[in-house]
Amino acid sequence: MTRDEIKDMILEIIEDIDEEAEFDQLDPDAPLRDQLDLDSMDFLDIVMELRKRYKLQIPEEEYPQLATLTSCVNYLEPRLKDA
Amino acid sequence: MADYQLIIIGCGLSGLAAGIRAARFGRRTLILEQHTVAGGLNSYYHRRGVLLETGLHAMTNFAAIGDKRAPLNRLFRQLKLSRRAFVTHEQIGSEIVFPQLRLAFSNDFSLLEAGIAAAFPGCMDRFARLVRAVDAYDPFAPAPWRSTREFLSSILAEPLLEDMLLLPLMVYGNAEEHDMDLGQFVIMFRAVFQDGFFRPQGTIRDFLDMLVAQFRRFDGEIRFQSPVASIIRRHDRVAGVVLADGEEISGDAVLSTVGIPGTARLAGWDLDVAAHTGRMSFMETIALVPARSMAELRHDRTIFFYNLEPTFSYQRPDDLLDVSWGVICFPGNFQGLEAADPAQVRVTNAANYELWQRLEDDDYRRAKERWSAKSLAAAGKIIGNSPADIVYQDSFTPLTIERFTAKAEGAVYGSPRKIRDGRTPWPNLFIAGTDQGYLGIVGAMLSGVTIVNQHLLGS
Repeated sequence: MTRDEIKDMILEIIEDIDEEAEFDQLDPDAPLRDQLDLDSMDFLDIVMELRKRYKLQIPEEEYPQLATLTSCVNYLEPRLKDA
Repeated sequence: MADYQLIIIGCGLSGLAAGIRAARFGRRTLILEQHTVAGGLNSYYHRRGVLLETGLHAMTNFAAIGDKRAPLNRLFRQLKLSRRAFVTHEQIGSEIVFPQLRLAFSNDFSLLEAGIAAAFPGCMDRFARLVRAVDAYDPFAPAPWRSTREFLSSILAEPLLEDMLLLPLMVYGNAEEHDMDLGQFVIMFRAVFQDGFFRPQGTIRDFLDMLVAQFRRFDGEIRFQSPVASIIRRHDRVAGVVLADGEEISGDAVLSTVGIPGTARLAGWDLDVAAHTGRMSFMETIALVPARSMAELRHDRTIFFYNLEPTFSYQRPDDLLDVSWGVICFPGNFQGLEAADPAQVRVTNAANYELWQRLEDDDYRRAKERWSAKSLAAAGKIIGNSPADIVYQDSFTPLTIERFTAKAEGAVYGSPRKIRDGRTPWPNLFIAGTDQGYLGIVGAMLSGVTIVNQHLLGS
């Protein structure tokens, strides 16, 4: 997947988790959770969805690397290069 | 490979919510239910062509669409259900009635504040302090038991107000007699006073159908009329269940929603069952009344929480029933509902399980008749008249509740000692639901969600 595809995929997962999510004002370098008012349970769903779709096992100590949209893309790019 | 990755015992609200979470993320999940319908404590049956709900008076934790942190909306996200498509009817308003005073409350918190300001003019600063303390308290952080009675008395120092606030919160969600854990008080204060009451559109059946459909959409399986006889133990783990007809089903993990006493019996868990059996049970009488007769009753509220005595004592009564305090609910009185004919009145009072259990067939039936009449007569003191021209009447005793819901001694709020983390002596057997500790419909579902998230999805 390209960086743009990964970004779209993340946003699609979030949209799927939260029907209230709005991305118009989203700052790609600011924490997703604060901006979208998501809690730890929602965050777990992003991780679970990545596992379900791409068989990606993300260890808990690496969750902080998924904090912002940009850091998500950075983290996932090498892991999804063949996806 | 086991038959299922997760076997859930009980298709009530906690079991269904747990099942949806597990199935949503691809776990092969089976729910086993002893009865023919889902719901457990919050189910339904039909009489005279009318669908009657067994548990639901109102759902607590009302939250508007878009309030993302509200428990109701978090729950819908977790279950991947659309909150926008979920139509709710808020309460008209409810009332706490004591001989000395009546306090009205609704989903607008300022109504309760205004009532308190009028009746206890010197108390508003103290009440505001109470609200701040509730707002600041994290009831989900592990903490030792703390007395709500002492907490309230230290802040409010108004015994009447303390009793009045406690009546709805205890009767809608306290497994202990006399006092209440502070964490549970905070949960209930938010759920009842700050969030408030509502009903889903339709009946509890529609709500359950929605959850069952969601579970099946994720390929979850349910087997009705499949009581579990025992949980299979192998070495230091559990390996599945045996059904009453002898069939064995293997599972990588088992989640029990049948309470601590029920789970102990199924698994051969050696614990103090008496200490984990609640003493608070209730009898509920449903009366169907022609719409024209409703005019004789004061029915401008959704729910009355009444006490005919000057002080409030939450305990198992010495008699079969204690009609001196209780709940009167008009399930038709929610905003935007069309008037039903016949209309429903429900009256709930504390009951003594042990005394009901001692009665033989005919005595039991007569006691039910006698006490439901007393219950309706007591309600008449609050709503002007006892319901008249009743076209159909039915009562559930603690025995009815025990038989249909697997709640030991019919204790609707379960064990006074909860297992908050859902763990048992076996690493792959968990409990959720009433005895995990989150109560009410929203609470029970959050319990199922939380236990699956913590113990089954991470690994």
